[in-house]
Amino acid sequence: MAQELRSINLVAPAFKGINTEDSPLAQDPSFAETADNAVIDKRGRIAARKGHEVTTTNKTALGTAALRAIKTFRDDAGNTKVFSAGNNKIFSGTTTLVDETPVGYTITADNWKMVNFNDRIYMFQRGYEPLVYDNTSADVEAMSDHTHSTGVASTMYGNEVLAAYGRLWTADFADNKSTIYWSDLLNGIHWSGGSSGSIDISKVWPNGYDEIVSLAAHNNLLIIFGQHSIVVYEGATSPSSMTLSDTVAGVGCVDRDTVQYTGTDVIFLSQTGLRSFGRTIQEKSMPISSLSKTITKDIISLLQNEVDFYRSVYSPEENFYLLSFVGQETTYCFDVRGTLEDGSYRVTRWPGSLFTAYETRRDGKLFIGTTDGISEYKGYSDNGVKYRFKYFSPSLTFGDPSRLKILKKIKPTLVGANSATVFMKFAYDFGTSFSTTEFTVGNQQPAFYNVNEFGANSVPLSEFTGGELTNQRSLNAVGNGTSVVVGLESDINGFALSLQEINLLALIGKTI
Amino acid sequence: MEELLEALGISGPDALGGAAALGLLTSAYNRLGGIGERGQELGAQLAETQMGQAAFRPYTVTTATGGQFGTQIDPVTGQLRTTMGVSPEEQAMRSQLFGGAGQFYEQAAMPTGEREQAIFERMRVAQRPEEERQRLALEERLAGQGRLGVRTAQFGGSPEQFALAQAQEESRNRAMLGAMQQAQAEQQQQAGLGQQYLAGSYVPQAQLLSSITPGMTAAGQAQQAQLYGTGLFGEASASGIDALLGAALGQANLFGAAGTGLLAGLVGD
Repeated sequence: MAQELRSINLVAPAFKGINTEDSPLAQDPSFAETADNAVIDKRGRIAARKGHEVTTTNKTALGTAALRAIKTFRDDAGNTKVFSAGNNKIFSGTTTLVDETPVGYTITADNWKMVNFNDRIYMFQRGYEPLVYDNTSADVEAMSDHTHSTGVASTMYGNEVLAAYGRLWTADFADNKSTIYWSDLLNGIHWSGGSSGSIDISKVWPNGYDEIVSLAAHNNLLIIFGQHSIVVYEGATSPSSMTLSDTVAGVGCVDRDTVQYTGTDVIFLSQTGLRSFGRTIQEKSMPISSLSKTITKDIISLLQNEVDFYRSVYSPEENFYLLSFVGQETTYCFDVRGTLEDGSYRVTRWPGSLFTAYETRRDGKLFIGTTDGISEYKGYSDNGVKYRFKYFSPSLTFGDPSRLKILKKIKPTLVGANSATVFMKFAYDFGTSFSTTEFTVGNQQPAFYNVNEFGANSVPLSEFTGGELTNQRSLNAVGNGTSVVVGLESDINGFALSLQEINLLALIGKTI
Repeated sequence: MEELLEALGISGPDALGGAAALGLLTSAYNRLGGIGERGQELGAQLAETQMGQAAFRPYTVTTATGGQFGTQIDPVTGQLRTTMGVSPEEQAMRSQLFGGAGQFYEQAAMPTGEREQAIFERMRVAQRPEEERQRLALEERLAGQGRLGVRTAQFGGSPEQFALAQAQEESRNRAMLGAMQQAQAEQQQQAGLGQQYLAGSYVPQAQLLSSITPGMTAAGQAQQAQLYGTGLFGEASASGIDALLGAALGQANLFGAAGTGLLAGLVGD
């Protein structure tokens, strides 16, 4: 007797992001086994990430190197200037990268950290005399060359710099990993005299020894991230009398460039994944505080294999925190709008991303540094080069792992993806050989008010449209197995793509 | 005599009477001469006796504590010699006090630097335990606050460390000033003690001198009594001599009157 086709609807598949921690069979279908080059879009769907459009038109000074730091200088008078670093140089500008490296200043590494403080921008890198720029001098200069600088010494050539509580703070020196220096009040070039000073926290580490990696200021606290512990001081507005507020053992920060402020919290990458400072303090490093619990092993694997450096950025406009393992060309995108039941952020992965620097601008734009110079996070191609969006579901058993499933139809619903070729894939029983069926999405140029209404030479293109293109397909499937993995791949080359739902029609067979 | 009698016109049997008169006169004359010599002799003897009686008599005053004050005539030079001596105990005490005075003055005359340092060290020894306790307490507090490693351009270390160091430094400074004042006070005290010891070392002598006053008064009274007796002796002796001389003079006058009468009878005949 013919059996009724059972419909399994995957609504907003992968809207919980990747989960590689739980057993595939036991997973919620809302997770994804793979979500590459994807983000969670405004409607909670998995969607293709944006690409980047290169702004730089003249990168002669950069050569073939990549930008490793981008920072916009801004002073009270409204002067702005974008600085970047790469190819052992300091640049200014976005379209043409102008070499601003001080004459006679030799640079052999590009791991700069730049901060704005009191009408100046400061650039710190371990073992290098800090650089400073202000609109008055209009030149990047070594700090000791500044007319009014004091106390600039090799002992304070730190790798980490923080502008907070009216001072510059620096730490992580070549031969001193437990001391923090702070500048005079409101003066980042005065490192002696006044109320400048230092604190050696070598006797404070909760585990006896650690090394400072990063500094952060949050909620009137000075947060000192060690590699495996965190030390928190309160009252940092008066550093000479600030007092230890809290210590957390067992949780540290991997790299200074993974620390980002979200306004209500501080996010950082620990040895076991992404963490929130607020919850770490509340829960004293309980594992539940991990924000990347669904990809812990993946993160640890990347950490262990990373030989280059890390970059991160928080974009409130895009609602994500990006974490790039530059040496492995992998970026994880954490959606910060909410957390899952276990406290994790929804996460997607951007493999093959060659993003080497980030800068969130005040206008909401996200600058990305690459070998092409400065790009903007926009559009749907990587500077004209397509990238592949991938989604693979966890193994689906339809609630009965002991019985055969015979897929008959796969009905994906896509939003956008104009003219894109979409590959629907499925495999049974954890197989790695996927059956593939492809289709091409139709083309539609949506007409928005005052845009595209008439097209070139007033030739109407699409005076009336349905807005975003929505595409539903019904694809035949073959084969059978007790579990099914469904995937979707498409090259993103100019148009957005969101996966609204996937409806699977299957026969439920015998028990095996 | 015959010629004198003949000159006087006495001759013959008168001559005998005249001769007897002349003899009486001559005897009176001679007696008068002898009386003078006798008086001179007795006066010399009296003077000599009184000189002996009025001569200074050495004396010695011995105090109750054994000190002695004596006045003697040097038998060789005849000079008056006064000697004083205290008892051995007093001498020992005097030597002790005198030596002590010397030591005190010596100490008072020494520079105060070493003493200041010594006093300062003793004060610091007393202060150090509390300072160490305060330092440890601050260290524990700073360690608890995670601030042991604070170094500031403003304070050197933390403000609390600066305050403690300042307080301890002020305490040290006060100790130093106190040590200086104490050393100077001790110097003054040494001088005072030296003064007292020196004055004390002269007390036996002063007491000896003061104690001889009654002895000297007694000796003076004895001397006065001696001189008074000598005067009485002289007066008495002189009266005897006067009486003796008066009797001799009466005898001489008697002889003279007899001779004169006899002679006048002869001449008147």
